[in-house]
Amino acid sequence: MTWLVWRQHRHQAYFAAALLAVFAILMLVTGRQIASQYQSALTSCGATHSCGNLASTLTLGTPLLSLLAAFTVVAPCLLGVFWGGPLVARELETGTSQFAWMQSITRGRWLLVKVGWALLAAAAWGGAVSALVTWWSSPANALNQQRFQPGQFDIQGIVPVGYAVFAVALGIAAGALLRRTLPAMAITVGVFALLRLVIGQDLRSHYLSAVTILNTFGHRMKAPTGSYWLVSQGLIGPGGRLLTTSSLASGVSINGVPLSEMPPACQAVAFQGPVKVTSCLAAHGYRGIFTSYQPAGRYWAFQGIETGIFVFLAAALIAVTAIVVLRRDA
Amino acid sequence: MISFRLDGHSVVPPYLQIVQQVRQALRMGVLDVGDQLPTVREVVAATAINPNTVLKAYRDLEREGLVEPRAGHGTFVLRRPPGPPPGTHSRLARSLAHWVRGAREAGLDDESIESLLRVTLQAAAEEETA
Amino acid sequence: MDPQDAAPLAIVTRGLFKRYRKVTALADCSIAVPEGRISALIGPNGAGKTTLLRLLAGLARPSGGAVAVLGGTPRQDPAFLAEIGFLAQEIPLYRRLSAEDHIAAGAHLNPRWDAASVRDRLRGLNIPADQAVGTLSGGQRAQVALSLTLAKRPRLLLLDEPVAALDPLARRQFLATLADAVAAGGLTVMLSSHLVADMERICDHLILLAASRVQLCGDIDTVLAEHQVLVGPRKDTTAIERDHTVVQATHTARQSTLLIRGAAPVIDPAWEAAGVGLEELVLGYLGQSAPPAIAHLSAVGEDQ
Repeated sequence: MTWLVWRQHRHQAYFAAALLAVFAILMLVTGRQIASQYQSALTSCGATHSCGNLASTLTLGTPLLSLLAAFTVVAPCLLGVFWGGPLVARELETGTSQFAWMQSITRGRWLLVKVGWALLAAAAWGGAVSALVTWWSSPANALNQQRFQPGQFDIQGIVPVGYAVFAVALGIAAGALLRRTLPAMAITVGVFALLRLVIGQDLRSHYLSAVTILNTFGHRMKAPTGSYWLVSQGLIGPGGRLLTTSSLASGVSINGVPLSEMPPACQAVAFQGPVKVTSCLAAHGYRGIFTSYQPAGRYWAFQGIETGIFVFLAAALIAVTAIVVLRRDA
Repeated sequence: MISFRLDGHSVVPPYLQIVQQVRQALRMGVLDVGDQLPTVREVVAATAINPNTVLKAYRDLEREGLVEPRAGHGTFVLRRPPGPPPGTHSRLARSLAHWVRGAREAGLDDESIESLLRVTLQAAAEEETA
Repeated sequence: MDPQDAAPLAIVTRGLFKRYRKVTALADCSIAVPEGRISALIGPNGAGKTTLLRLLAGLARPSGGAVAVLGGTPRQDPAFLAEIGFLAQEIPLYRRLSAEDHIAAGAHLNPRWDAASVRDRLRGLNIPADQAVGTLSGGQRAQVALSLTLAKRPRLLLLDEPVAALDPLARRQFLATLADAVAAGGLTVMLSSHLVADMERICDHLILLAASRVQLCGDIDTVLAEHQVLVGPRKDTTAIERDHTVVQATHTARQSTLLIRGAAPVIDPAWEAAGVGLEELVLGYLGQSAPPAIAHLSAVGEDQ
């Protein structure tokens, strides 16, 4: 059966391998350039003891390259659509599943081998892309401390493997349920995007309870360090209520609180400096500023939890696929 | 080796057609004593008929004593059906062809020849019983 | 006694039926096919032929009734699957793979596999084995599919309208290949078709389906011997109906033609009796149930 799976999909495999090779070469070549760029920048700033500002003055690589790296966030979805969608659906559509099932191989074995290889290949391909991007991003991670941020979190580490396995499982399940390739592909894109959005935006911040720092006015500001993930921040109002700043607010901010969130009187004295703004806010009853965040040390815990969620969902989808394929009329 | 031609539209069942064609071949001298009949598989491959039909025909011929199966080798002709030797047939066929030519020249079509033949056979049969 | 009569049964069903939501595709099907037969499954579209074949192959699950194929229930078991060959009407093959690829796939997936027989057959029919199967003609694809199905050396072969899309020569070659495989021994065949002339030639057993029910099941010779056609002046048929089943009766102003079934002889001298051929028999049974069969046609077609 493995022979048949290979024979059916070998052109797909060659294409994916070629694509990966091109990507790898690109990443490896530019990655080394970026690494040496960073090293020399460190050396020169170290000599002048001005490394504190490095993050705002140094740009690593080119915007195009950063775009390419960021683009790998769609890789799992593509795998799901092109490898997962047609895997079972195409065979049900064309009737070749009937041919296979009337050889002396049970439906269970047929499904196991096909799905097994598809998920393995997805994990391997997704993992290879992620490894390349993670390695390529390590100077940027060290410089900008952004790896825990949404966007970077999704394309580095082990979560892309979880996404890839889930996307392919989703494609397979959609195909088995709908029995048509194109609708299955469409459903895969839709459901995958939706789930990633929901889990990434809403669920992720709740994996572990965020740490909250309360900075009351008049005391020394304590700030989180390293590549932490800012979950929410805002003013501490009268009575100690935490007034979260809307994440959509933009513009100038003092200590992380946008001017637009402050009473107009304090907005007026903004140009006079942060000390004046602080005393103005204190006069209006605000007690201080709070920061809720996930500490940098929890990065791998979060990676593990999110990967686990997606792998669990993938397993559930495969279970559904198995029930549908084994029990339904051919 | 003879080959069989089966007429799907004939009222004669297929197995009987095979029996008749074997007998005819023996009479005409196309098949001789000791010759091997085509194997069931050969007949079936050529005519796409049911193998049991061929088996039935060969069993009938065996029962008549015309053929005998030899295990592992095939079915072989044992003896000819009672009647004049093959030479008679070819001799009579030639004179019949000559007569038919004459009848055609006289203006008879196939249908008239056939009905003439039928009437003559009937008259001859009545003569024999009389 | 014909040694065939004592043959074990390759297929036995009792009260088998299949329902899709509101439509009954097959109702109360009780048949028996002895081993070694080539059985013709005849019936109009929508009569349940494909459903029956799929139930026997284990591709569909019955809604009720009993079915035994080669002594066991159709099930997901490699040993059982190895004994059954099924060829669907659409002749599903991997279009981008060649016949050779299919042969290799078969070798990997089946315990018994006669690759040489496939290659010999294809060579004999001048079908290229290294070309993508999708580029072959319908007749060539059917031959490839049949050869592959035979290569697994099944004991039972189920074919759903295998010659429907073939030209006369391809049809003849296909049936010859099939008959040859049966002649080699150890094989029972059930094939569905519309072409009664072909069926009469190659089949020795008959199952007639109409309106999703079995109308006839038995050896063709026996079935034909049980029926006769009576032609006579237009008159009352109660006397006939006492001892026989009237399958179909057609009347003109002056004449009646009856297709009857029954062993008792017809004594009334007004009736002229004649034997019946397979095509006439089939038409008689199908004609008699035409309106309900057509009503079932549209319903089944929509649901599937």
